[in-house]
Amino acid sequence: MFAARRLVLAHFWVAFAAFAAAILLGEWQMYVRSPLSAWVSNPEHYYRSVTAHGTVMAYVLPTLVAMGFGYAICELALKRPLVGVKWAWIGYWLVIGGTVLATIPMALGWASVLYTFYPPMIGSPLYYLGVVFVVVGSWIWVALMAINLRAWRRDNPGAPVPLAMFGNVTGAYLWAWTSLGAAIEVLVLILPVALGFKDTIDAGLARVFFSWTLHAIVYFWLIPAYIAFYTIVPRAIGGRLYSDNMARVAFVLFLVFSMPIGIHHLFADPQVGAGFKFVHALMTALVSVPTLLTVFTITASIEIAARLRGGKGAFGWVKALPWGNPTMLAITFSFVMLGFGGAGGLINMSYQLNETVHNTQWVTGHFHLIFGGAIVIMYLVVAYDLWPQLTGCRPLPAGLMKAQLWLWFVGMLVLTMPWHWVGILGMPRRMAYFDYGNPALAGQGWTVVASTLGGALLVVSALLFVFILWRSQRDAGNPEPFTFALPAHPTPVPRPLNVFAPWVAMMIALTVVNYGFPIAQLASLKETSVPAVRMGGP
Amino acid sequence: MRASILALIAITIVSLLIGFVWLPSAHSDFTAKGLWDAICRAAGVPGSWGNGDVVAGRPGTSVVLLPAMRTATSESAGRGGSLALEKCTMCHGARGVSSANTPNLAGQYPEVIIKQLLDYQHGDRPSAAMQAIAAPLDEKQVRDLAAYYASLPRPRNTPVTDMSKVPRLVSVGDPMRNIAPCAACHGGMDQKLGAPWLEGMPKDYLLAQLADFASGARANDSHAQMRNMVRTLTKQEIGEVAEFYARQRTE
Repeated sequence: MFAARRLVLAHFWVAFAAFAAAILLGEWQMYVRSPLSAWVSNPEHYYRSVTAHGTVMAYVLPTLVAMGFGYAICELALKRPLVGVKWAWIGYWLVIGGTVLATIPMALGWASVLYTFYPPMIGSPLYYLGVVFVVVGSWIWVALMAINLRAWRRDNPGAPVPLAMFGNVTGAYLWAWTSLGAAIEVLVLILPVALGFKDTIDAGLARVFFSWTLHAIVYFWLIPAYIAFYTIVPRAIGGRLYSDNMARVAFVLFLVFSMPIGIHHLFADPQVGAGFKFVHALMTALVSVPTLLTVFTITASIEIAARLRGGKGAFGWVKALPWGNPTMLAITFSFVMLGFGGAGGLINMSYQLNETVHNTQWVTGHFHLIFGGAIVIMYLVVAYDLWPQLTGCRPLPAGLMKAQLWLWFVGMLVLTMPWHWVGILGMPRRMAYFDYGNPALAGQGWTVVASTLGGALLVVSALLFVFILWRSQRDAGNPEPFTFALPAHPTPVPRPLNVFAPWVAMMIALTVVNYGFPIAQLASLKETSVPAVRMGGP
Repeated sequence: MRASILALIAITIVSLLIGFVWLPSAHSDFTAKGLWDAICRAAGVPGSWGNGDVVAGRPGTSVVLLPAMRTATSESAGRGGSLALEKCTMCHGARGVSSANTPNLAGQYPEVIIKQLLDYQHGDRPSAAMQAIAAPLDEKQVRDLAAYYASLPRPRNTPVTDMSKVPRLVSVGDPMRNIAPCAACHGGMDQKLGAPWLEGMPKDYLLAQLADFASGARANDSHAQMRNMVRTLTKQEIGEVAEFYARQRTE
């Protein structure tokens, strides 16, 4: 690497430090809610903790990981120094400043509105401003990704963009467009109320704007994991990427279809017409296409690794896989969790099935399994894989890494499977306490204890992860040059899979079709605002 | 590339046709007035909202609570003091603490007093005495009275030292009956705009108000908040809550 080493390291350290702190909050929440502890005497403390846990895990951690990984990819894949390092540091400090600015009101209980904002609840303006700064910092990253790609293209006219950079820029463009919804919600609808210029808010319209961001943000979190699937995993387990072009197809399909589908979060919202709910549900189903393409491509790539190691037979090759390799473990765990989480996601996105699980603990189980499980475990892999490059350390201790990954996998399943189960039984989410003395609920108490124990495993795993990184950083070594996975069959990249403009245009057009009317209709309806409910604080 | 764009357009058109034409046609509510009406309904724009037989109920209150009602000046409180001497002290006590089973006003949140006086004026909270007293007050006098009482020190309360003595309805409510904890709005955990300060209120007053909310005799709570909380309470539970808030009174 050239100029971005300290930059990437700084992003990763802040991300993982915040992650370790926020996971403690999550575990505390499960503990006080379980029969192991007395009811929390002040539920506001619980929601304060949920807000902080969500804000860090959903905004700070993935944004910093995507930014840091993006800068690293710029240098490692394009093989040239990052353009605009100074701007990148400005973006970094904006994210840090925003995080601090949001943390203060959250810690004081002035903004216990949960990270999804939920108007008409209104918290301290400092909280929203902090989130805006985090997003604006990430927009600098988006711009830098585009600028770096352009600079590289100028010097390599007509050459195919390296796959890692292609995925990286896909994530950047996706984020730029998807963050716009929440940005409009905060700047136009929430901040005037939070600052005291208004006392009412159009909660229905605000929710529609947030749904614009809420679903596609998940794919922004997911893109670094997918880049790791395609460009790190095959190399790390000694194989080849089955198809470079299939990876590009998956990335552009995410760009087009992940964005205009957020209304499936609003199935229970009366302000959106049923027709749009159906269209969004159908397009949500289409996102399973790039997901399944990825699963097939990566499984084929893994099979290549096994066959290169002498694996034989229709299924016998599975035994030949490098099971002692931490990345092999991680990709297996990630796919298992993606499988369960994806199946649950199909239930969430279908209008009728959603009715049974809407706003239940099922949903919490679903997104922890997909994001905390399938995606975050790949963040861990990215950090492990890049660490020798970033710090110039010796190879990381494989035994500890495997223990850490096992703990994360088992912990996540023990945390989320009981949530899925009680969600079907109807346990609501976002509850500060349950009355286990009530005969109707007494039988569900064990599930909350199980989730608490799963959470404890995750805490141990997260702390072990930070420990491994911290420990290794001090062991100077001589790392080999970093490489991305090579395709099994080098094929020319068709022009449409080497450019972004048409796909971005399709993304924007589809958004206009899917969101234009509901937003215009709600914005023009009169007397739709409700009194703001101010949460704590001055 | 062209195929991709055409495919996207085709997918979009097919999904729009299914969502706005085919599925609505399966539902009699949507198809009652023809295809165009079905499309409009699916888009969330029905030709008419409901069938017109919705009976408008009497609004419980017409007062809109605003955070600005919380702010008061000392001149306003001064004017309110003179006015209170003339209008209020007979029943509510010389310094806003009642000895006549009327509510304490000392230290009450200003928006609470404003709202109740306006509700008396509008006839939304029935009371032979208070409707007559509130009727001649103008808007400024109402604000002055609220500012004055907000400026008085609250009655001294016995602090809660043993949480187990607090009724569960006060501290945790009863989720299975959809009852929020009293302390979530009336102070203790949080105070919501318009929710009165209750510590030290006379027990008889609290009992009477809770009974009126339960029966619907008192209906000036916004969105029926209090009526919905109290309706499913037993007489004994109402007694426990009233006892708790009143027991901290030091005469």
